[in-house]
Amino acid sequence: MKELAWVVLAIASLALLPLVASDYVIGAAITALTFTVAAACLNIVFGYAGLLSFAQLAFWGIGGYCTALIVVDAGGSFWLGLLAAAALCALLSLIVGWAALRLQRDSFVIVTLSFSLLAFMVARDWVDLTRGPMGLPGLPAPQLFGLSFGSIHAMYWLALGFVVLALGLLYTLATSRIGITLRAIKQNQPLALAHGIAPSPYLLLAFAVSAALTGMAGGVQVFYLKIVDPTMFDMYYAQAWLIMVIIGGAGSFWGVVAAGIVMSVLPEMLRFSNELRMVIYGVILVVVVLILPQGVAGWWRERGITRLRQSLSGDGP
Amino acid sequence: MAMSVDPSFLLQLALNGLMLGLIYALVAAGLALIFGVLDIINFAHGEILMVGAFAMAFALPAFGGQYLPALLVAVAASAVLGLVLYDGLLVRLRDKDFNGSILITTGVSIVLLYGTQYLFSSTPRMVTTELGFQGVQIGSIRISWTRIVACVIALLAFGVLWLVLFRTQLGRAMRAVAINREAALMVGIQPRSVARHAVLLATVLAGLAGAALAPVHLVQPMMGQFLLFKAFALVVIGGLGSIGGAIVAGLLLGVVESWVGGFFNIIWQETASFVIMIVVLLMRPQGLLGRRNTRAG
Repeated sequence: MKELAWVVLAIASLALLPLVASDYVIGAAITALTFTVAAACLNIVFGYAGLLSFAQLAFWGIGGYCTALIVVDAGGSFWLGLLAAAALCALLSLIVGWAALRLQRDSFVIVTLSFSLLAFMVARDWVDLTRGPMGLPGLPAPQLFGLSFGSIHAMYWLALGFVVLALGLLYTLATSRIGITLRAIKQNQPLALAHGIAPSPYLLLAFAVSAALTGMAGGVQVFYLKIVDPTMFDMYYAQAWLIMVIIGGAGSFWGVVAAGIVMSVLPEMLRFSNELRMVIYGVILVVVVLILPQGVAGWWRERGITRLRQSLSGDGP
Repeated sequence: MAMSVDPSFLLQLALNGLMLGLIYALVAAGLALIFGVLDIINFAHGEILMVGAFAMAFALPAFGGQYLPALLVAVAASAVLGLVLYDGLLVRLRDKDFNGSILITTGVSIVLLYGTQYLFSSTPRMVTTELGFQGVQIGSIRISWTRIVACVIALLAFGVLWLVLFRTQLGRAMRAVAINREAALMVGIQPRSVARHAVLLATVLAGLAGAALAPVHLVQPMMGQFLLFKAFALVVIGGLGSIGGAIVAGLLLGVVESWVGGFFNIIWQETASFVIMIVVLLMRPQGLLGRRNTRAG
């Protein structure tokens, strides 16, 4: 119940942000929201299922392109585009995941990374479909029941609504029996097998859900930016999400959500150049992996357990 | 439709591809060596190549364009980086922490890549040597001296690598650890010392590749990243941990890419490595020269 109260409070304060903030801040906030969904998706795949996936970048970009192309070339609505992006990304993730899971776990990283690079090259070089390096500029504002999401405020609320739905779905998945099964597979696959759990369907399901939502996040992002081009496949995004997951604590749902928001907002406030920001992120990544392997959330949990233990042993006989 | 192909054009493409293939092979052999001995993937390998190339780019003017001293500087820079990478970071990892190794080397790669961009900007640099832009002309085929030197460096490096692996105690220890870590421990091999030497050897190979590439291609911070991704594909194609397989796959890819680029759209040249990788994974998941359940250096 306490958790629910916090969530309602957070959503309410985020919904009121446009009343007080400048357009620049709102723009940064939209990016923070879509990044948080992408990081939470990576958390499901890596933190829960234990698959280090670099394919999230491909789904992010493919989702962006798919949504934009449905609107611009096929004449569909933004909403249809988002659904198509989710369906396409889920389908692709099943194909890639099926092929990659046939191999040892070590190869999963390389196959998913190669898939992202392949997607980038297709976006850059298949000029007939994607317009090549120029991309598709001037994307129209999404419409709903005669309402236009043209202003940045409206786009922010759209993004917020999407994020609440996406995180709600991911949270349900993470806390469901499926989420617990995923953790079991990650922690000890032979034991999970011995309990009669077939890992592949669970892993593929987690991969597909995260792919679909990452693709939709990419779709929302390009309609906020009003342009989609091959820079959607910049390795920078994948690295940023990975760092959010690691710092938040892989496998900790709210830890990663909090890290996603904080690490998107903080650099904007500190006004670092992009290069310097990434150097600092890289150093933080190395330090956290070596010193806090469970992330900040894991460290907090451990600290609580240690204190509890101390207080118990202090009071005990 | 019959297409007439000029044999000398084909040969020219093959020679260009061979040089590129040797560079690929240098990078992929190092990756395979690290994977075989330490059981980890080094995501910073491309950035070590990039640092080698930048060291070459800065050392060449300082030595008045002399090739060899600049090459030694590049090798020294990559060797220092390799030692820092191993003794500073990788040694702290728990055993079998595969994901941890990827995260750490990714962090190192981010710091090196964006740090270089921050310090030296991402503008590509031209590097000139005492060899200039002259080359050898045989009939209609022309090869520049910098390319020939790059090939010679790569071949010498493979010679040294072979000698180390098959004619020294250290090389035997490396192969032993790659085949069976526990058994190697039992016969008194120190895995840490072997791992340090493997990382050092692999990073020097990458630094050499970067230094040899610097006068041939443009030097820029992103140069390592893309090469590395191709090298990953090569390591998978050659069979995870198989150095011989990685070298063969690198040479093949260089020539295939060059031919494909000469006759088809550029998109196929860039995607060739990934298409080949997917086909190999489906047909032969253990790779070209890989064997199931064993990894030999």
